[in-house]
Amino acid sequence: MEELIKEIKTNIIEVLNLEDMTPEDIENDAPLFGEGLGLDSIDVLELIVMMEKEYGIKLKNPAEGKEIFKSINVMAQYISDHRTK
Amino acid sequence: MEGDKEWIGTTYGNGWMHRHLILLLRYIDVRVLYVFSYLFVIPVCLILNASRKTAYHYFHRILGMGKCRSAWLTYVNHCRFAEVVIDKFAMFAGRRFKVEVVGLEHFNALAAGNEGFIHLSSHIGNYEIAGYTLCSEKKTINPVVYSGEKASVMANRNNMFLKTNIRMILMRADMGHLFEIDRALSEGEIVSFPTDRSNGSSKVIEHTFLGRTACFPQGPFSVATMRGLNVLAVNVMKERWTSYHIYVTPLDYDRSLPRKQQIAHLADAYVNELELRVKQYPTQWYNFFEFWK
Repeated sequence: MEELIKEIKTNIIEVLNLEDMTPEDIENDAPLFGEGLGLDSIDVLELIVMMEKEYGIKLKNPAEGKEIFKSINVMAQYISDHRTK
Repeated sequence: MEGDKEWIGTTYGNGWMHRHLILLLRYIDVRVLYVFSYLFVIPVCLILNASRKTAYHYFHRILGMGKCRSAWLTYVNHCRFAEVVIDKFAMFAGRRFKVEVVGLEHFNALAAGNEGFIHLSSHIGNYEIAGYTLCSEKKTINPVVYSGEKASVMANRNNMFLKTNIRMILMRADMGHLFEIDRALSEGEIVSFPTDRSNGSSKVIEHTFLGRTACFPQGPFSVATMRGLNVLAVNVMKERWTSYHIYVTPLDYDRSLPRKQQIAHLADAYVNELELRVKQYPTQWYNFFEFWK
């Protein structure tokens, strides 16, 4: 799981162009939106596409997306359970 | 630049007014309403609305015109805006306009393919006309629209679109529209974005536009480059009383570059095209809110 968490953080930094950040700067439990990483609505779309491209997970339900993108830990667990690649 | 910072995203008037306007437009020529609006509606609007300031500053500071000419063109600009609003309701009433499409081959080529693609437009001319003209039998067109629009306008649009393969995607607080955009593009459909309003997003691209720095939303460029999609700029400009020109221009960007540079290149291409059209039709700029820094 540790390896997956680091990979997710690296992917997020790459797709969201968070050039000033390193994986260590992102806390595993901090919220990705709002006061945490401070991601914007358009970043959600980046994450949806990232989930599909990198892990073969197609998200369709907004409510589900809101839950999955709560934190890195939640994302990692979901990816680990549902990944197809 | 002074003026409204936030665009409220609605068409003026209430449902009763809209219904009666549509009824009226079934029986009278649009030109009668144009003249009525020039004489009685626009002068009142210019007194009551802050849009006169943004329009005046656009002509005076951005385009560098003299004070008297800017004041006159502010009036002309509002008259033209009244015309396109009337035209929009005339479409709801079943009227059709003469439309010539420049660059239709670009649309047809992409519409015939399997990949999804993107339309970028701004608040110039009358983009809504494109929705009724640039149609694809194979692909659904999904215009992303502000959800604050009046229920009567949305109901009329929905009625118009029932016979077409146009399905509006409403921007919503629950981010459901992002899932709809993703679904549409991954299923090879067309998504159309307004590209001159950030709707509160902090992610903007600062770009020189007509000689001054303006803030364009990053979202549409970001979405296009996410999947390396083809992009068309679509601008619908009013010519004479009842005719329009639709300009369809492909926007190129180097997909081999890092994402950030792809976004910048695409934004460059879009702003250049927008600048060209605004210079060609200076009185058809209807982005009545604070756009330049």
